[in-house]
Amino acid sequence: MTFLFWILATLSVIGGLGMLLSRKAVHSALWLALTMMCLAVLYVAQSAVFLGTVQVIVYTGAVMMLFLFVLMLIGVSAADSLRESIRGQRPVAVLVAVALGATLIAAVGNALDFSVGLQAANAEYGGNVQGLAALMFGRYLIAFEATAALLITAALGATILAHRERLFPRQDQRTRSVERFRSGVHPGQRPSPGVYARHNAVDVPALLPDGSAVPDSIPGPLRARGTVREIDATATEEVLDRLVGGAASDTGGER
Amino acid sequence: MTDSFAPFGVDPWWIVAIKVLFVFVLLVVLTLLAIWGERRIVARMQQRIGPNRVGPFGLLQGLVDGVKLALKEEIVPAIADRTVYWLAPVIAATAAFMAFAVIPFGPTVSMFGYQTPLQLTDFPVSVLYILAIASVGIYGIVLAGWSSGSTYALLGGLRSTAQMISYEIAMGLSFVAVFLYAGSMSTSEIVTAQERVWYAVLLLPSFLIYVTSMVGETNRAPFDLPEAEGELVGGFHTEYSSLKFALFFLAEYINMVTVSALATTLFLGGWRAPWPLSLWEGANEGYLPILWFLIKVAGFMFLFIWLRGTLPRLRYDQFMNFGWKVLIPVALLWIIIVSLARVLRTDVALSVTTSILVLGIPVALLILLALFWDALRARIRPGGPSAATGRDDVEGGSAHHAAAEFDPFAGGHPVPPLPGQVMPGATSPPPVLVATTTQERDA
Amino acid sequence: MNAAWPIVALGGLAFAFAAFSVVIAAFTGPKRFNRAKVAAYECGIEPTPQPIGGGRFPVKYYLVAMMFIIFDIELVFLYPWAVAFDQLGLFGFIAMMLFLINLIVPYLYEWRRGGLEWD
Repeated sequence: MTFLFWILATLSVIGGLGMLLSRKAVHSALWLALTMMCLAVLYVAQSAVFLGTVQVIVYTGAVMMLFLFVLMLIGVSAADSLRESIRGQRPVAVLVAVALGATLIAAVGNALDFSVGLQAANAEYGGNVQGLAALMFGRYLIAFEATAALLITAALGATILAHRERLFPRQDQRTRSVERFRSGVHPGQRPSPGVYARHNAVDVPALLPDGSAVPDSIPGPLRARGTVREIDATATEEVLDRLVGGAASDTGGER
Repeated sequence: MTDSFAPFGVDPWWIVAIKVLFVFVLLVVLTLLAIWGERRIVARMQQRIGPNRVGPFGLLQGLVDGVKLALKEEIVPAIADRTVYWLAPVIAATAAFMAFAVIPFGPTVSMFGYQTPLQLTDFPVSVLYILAIASVGIYGIVLAGWSSGSTYALLGGLRSTAQMISYEIAMGLSFVAVFLYAGSMSTSEIVTAQERVWYAVLLLPSFLIYVTSMVGETNRAPFDLPEAEGELVGGFHTEYSSLKFALFFLAEYINMVTVSALATTLFLGGWRAPWPLSLWEGANEGYLPILWFLIKVAGFMFLFIWLRGTLPRLRYDQFMNFGWKVLIPVALLWIIIVSLARVLRTDVALSVTTSILVLGIPVALLILLALFWDALRARIRPGGPSAATGRDDVEGGSAHHAAAEFDPFAGGHPVPPLPGQVMPGATSPPPVLVATTTQERDA
Repeated sequence: MNAAWPIVALGGLAFAFAAFSVVIAAFTGPKRFNRAKVAAYECGIEPTPQPIGGGRFPVKYYLVAMMFIIFDIELVFLYPWAVAFDQLGLFGFIAMMLFLINLIVPYLYEWRRGGLEWD
């Protein structure tokens, strides 16, 4: 038990440090997940099996997922400004952190005096889960309902930030197809690009029977990026040049 | 802890080692068989033959494929986040294996003269443990998508995650009725509680919800949107090759086996023999029940394959709507009905007929309301629902090209023009952003 | 000896297997370098340039994750209630129904508000 504690405690501290010191936000999130998992195992080791599994489900599952989503949404990894926009934030933050630390130390120190594990409490109601249920839906019912209301309000508040006003009426498959046919543009597939077994092939237009190019046959993204190639003598020369001149550098790594 | 957990955690180390090895080998072998079975059965459904060259009936095809993957070149994308890219398949595979630890596949047997249950371990919260491990397994997928540094992979990873968390809720809700009846979350106790009647019979809606959500949870057809080839190439594992890809493949199939085993345990009486066989006492003793267990699991695996051979893939919005607007409310409603029925029976002590009447009338009303909901809405708000289905939106769609009145200080604040409004003085549409090409970026 | 040790053993075996596979694959396969191979795969076209910071994603996913958290917490409370249903009796039933109302109202709100729509 003590052995397990020291391993997990070390791992969770490493996880915490890793979270603080990682450069990339996603790596920080991963370290945090490690810490959460270690805590979950510690709970299980102290006979709080329900709390342990729930810790994994809710924290590492839900909260971390949300965290990853937010990171991806904002893209913190590169362009996160470290300049503070709120004046006087730093001293206040330090003050609050010290106060929190003091409270935590006091609370943990206080709890250490009578920490005896959950064996007796679990036995009283015939199981860890049953005991939790009896307390939660009995003695602490009001606190439970109030906390639930608070949590749900907070979560709903967060979703409101992400809501978007609908500017256009919703378009389903039917409306879109009707609109496409009414617009007068050719409704079917566009002709496929000319595939001439050189370079990317899809960046070269298809040819009509008379030898003229079909610009529409090249995928839109390539046209937008301006990487479309023309079919003419210079292109052929360029390809030849690439094949002869670029061969050494492109396949140089072959063993 | 109660006495039913006494047999767990007291095995000597060598019995634990045997069981661990058994579970590991079972999962790998089942995966190989499932891959072979899937290819053969789908082939049969499509009037083909399927793999039949390697070994008898092509049985060794999966193994040979695995060896082939190991001999393939490992390609790591240049912009991948190396550490996470390597970590992701390991997380996915490890989580997949670990979830199976609490599945019971037989009763207590004598193993080399030692009495031990045919189950690796059990807790008071075993089913929750599976859910927890499943939510860790999602990490493997989302990290694979993120670390590849490719658009398709990232989109596939995100889709996969959104899908798995959505269907995990429906799945979790379907468990509640089972726990309510079994009075436990431990897999072995749930199996014991189904001695008389399977929960698939007693709690049919829960079973149906679970079976639907387990297909969504494992990203299988018709819910295989994260790997929709026509849209996303390979989804989250587009950039994976060689054995790292094999690990994702393995994890997917093990997850299929695990959800099938969980369905068997929670709803089909676990390792207990099915009805006519259960009349014979010996059917539920010794090592024989492993056979019943495997047959039931194989039945679910066949269902997976059958679905894949039959149904086309759903559209993404239909799929999410189905999860959030059908499965979840139905599951919630079912929980309320089940608990109400039980509380009426036990605490209010109503007779069966009265309970059915008390429960049945509101439920019947609700179903009627749901059936006639669209008609009612059309009557209350004429023209309302057609705005949602869009018949007259086509005009509306072209209408926003016409210049509408634009008030630059609508609501007292300076605002940009809304779609359909034109900024006074603006002659050309706003410039289209053109991304830089790779060549320009490299230069 | 704890009932959790078999899980640790299975997890260790699985991890060792997965880590071994990932490492061994670097040695068993051939290596033929080619610049096109290590580029992101986009069916043959030049890979779409990655925007700085990983780009932005539809906020829809965030909404789903938030709804997931609401329901996940609900699930976690439903489980002990279901397990101890017979001990809790009528009082527990009413308590849970209050909680469910607490949850169904925001769910319906989100539905009406369009938070569950995908397009």
